[in-house]
Amino acid sequence: MAAHRRSIDAFIRSVRRLSTLCGFVAAALIGAGVVVVCEMVFVRYALNRNTIWQTDFVTYCLVAATFIGSPFVLLTRGHVNVDVLPHYAGPLSRRWLALFASVLTIAFCVVIAVLTFMFWKEAWDNKWVSDTMWRARLWIPYASMPIGLGLLTLQSIADLMALLTGREAPFGITVERVP
Amino acid sequence: MSPATQGALVLLVTLIVLLSGAPVAFGLGAISIAFVVLFQGFDALHVVAETFYAGLNDFTLVSIPMFVMMGAAIGSSPAGKDLYEALDRWLYRLPGGLVISNLGACALFAALTGSSPACCAAIGKMGIPEMRSRGYPDDIATGSICAGGTLGILIPPSITFILYGIATETSIGRLFLAGVVPGAMLTALFMLWTLFIIWKRGFRVHAADFRYTWKEKFGSIPKVAPFLAIVIGVMYVLYGGIATPSEAAGVGAALCVVMAMVIYRMWRPRQWWKILRDTTRESVMILMIIAAAVLFGYMLTSLYLTQTLAQGIADMHVNRWVLMAMINLFLLVCGFFIPPAAIILMTAPILYPIIKAAGFDPVWFGVILTINMEIGLIHPPVGLNIYIVSAIAPDVPVARIMWGTIPYVLCMMLQIVLLCIFPEIATWLPDHLMGAVH
Repeated sequence: MAAHRRSIDAFIRSVRRLSTLCGFVAAALIGAGVVVVCEMVFVRYALNRNTIWQTDFVTYCLVAATFIGSPFVLLTRGHVNVDVLPHYAGPLSRRWLALFASVLTIAFCVVIAVLTFMFWKEAWDNKWVSDTMWRARLWIPYASMPIGLGLLTLQSIADLMALLTGREAPFGITVERVP
Repeated sequence: MSPATQGALVLLVTLIVLLSGAPVAFGLGAISIAFVVLFQGFDALHVVAETFYAGLNDFTLVSIPMFVMMGAAIGSSPAGKDLYEALDRWLYRLPGGLVISNLGACALFAALTGSSPACCAAIGKMGIPEMRSRGYPDDIATGSICAGGTLGILIPPSITFILYGIATETSIGRLFLAGVVPGAMLTALFMLWTLFIIWKRGFRVHAADFRYTWKEKFGSIPKVAPFLAIVIGVMYVLYGGIATPSEAAGVGAALCVVMAMVIYRMWRPRQWWKILRDTTRESVMILMIIAAAVLFGYMLTSLYLTQTLAQGIADMHVNRWVLMAMINLFLLVCGFFIPPAAIILMTAPILYPIIKAAGFDPVWFGVILTINMEIGLIHPPVGLNIYIVSAIAPDVPVARIMWGTIPYVLCMMLQIVLLCIFPEIATWLPDHLMGAVH
């Protein structure tokens, strides 16, 4: 029993570390986006030269930051939800609501992770390139989708396990709201 | 199944899923995939990943994390405190000067950060204890800060306007300009109401028995002025058509981070991480909702639900102002439960053709929609700002804060009515500076 508990703890801890790492990567991608936008503005307006790769690069950075940063945002409860019912529901109903929300999240994450993986595979197999001047190989930006959404699936499974085993309160609500 | 029945089913399921507390982005995505499969079969799944990706593959969206970073850099620094102090030191001797300082600081901080919760927290932390210590009733002290915080999404640069602009392909620069006069008017309405209620309760002069020196009066200005200059610079570049919103916001974000480092000596990696973490959390949250909302929009369009709804409303042949009242009511009710970003992304593509068909200006409607969203921020049961202020003043009962916000909700409704009677309040500035759109 204790070994079982420890393995669950280890799984949740590992996934959380992975999600935190995702947060650092996403933050770095956004930071890189800001730097490249500044470089692009300088090249375009100060040097009066054409820019080729910058627009695509910044867009890909932001798309990648969104998918890869998503597990971190789920970990830190940053994905907004409508928490009226959970707040006003009793403890038992709140638990059922949390289970429903959690299962729905996992179902979506699994389906979209598989679909985006197939999309990425298509880009890889057919050697797709962007229709812009840069002609970027599209499997690179597309890879952020299955990677980020796969890790998001892991984080949502870890959240469900934490909820089922009582490690986390439903929706993180530990005290009753006083109206 | 007829499109009307399908539409009713989609609406019902969406309400159930959203109210369950599931994250909005994942809930919308799950509903979209489920209905696409249900009504079009598994073959329709092959476009889901592409649509999900395409929703984000747009350079205009880059402006969102950039503006969020601008706000995060300023919000993480003590700029809010300095702004508040600067205004208070200049206005403290006026009757009601503290109210003007608080609401004025909220309006200016709103312009700097574009975020209502950040504005509420930054100004409220200083403003609420100060007002309470000078004898202001709790409901006025907390209610005015709740209301002042909402100005963050109306006064440019505003993420709400960017989202609306992207969802409806309306000029973001024009929307920003359209928010200026209504934002200033709403600030003035909030101030007038607060001064009136203070005067009515016999609270006329609250000036302290000391004077600030000129040195103290000018002390905070040099710290805040560069941030205001950056925001004004970004606006100028945007309106002048010199650069795109993403470019202007990107340079603005970098400058704000550099200024925070230079002026407030935010050199430590922990401080950098706080700016980047806040930026990542808010940006990823918004962008994921955008991706899911695009998928949701695709599902609605491919099932002909949007077209059926627009046609159904057109067939009703109701007066356009009755239609506008119904839309306002709908948005108001949505705002009570759902966060602004999600409402805009879900409803704007549906409402936009209806608004255009009824002959309303989409830029003007963007302002109306945003004020509706502001009401949702201070109206129960969700009322995000109420809970932020409650955290700042935990000894004030939530019910008292809620009562304190009611007059400001009425001010916003009055502003909506004024905008309906005089649309030029919103359209004059963009038309004057950028030329009228025919």
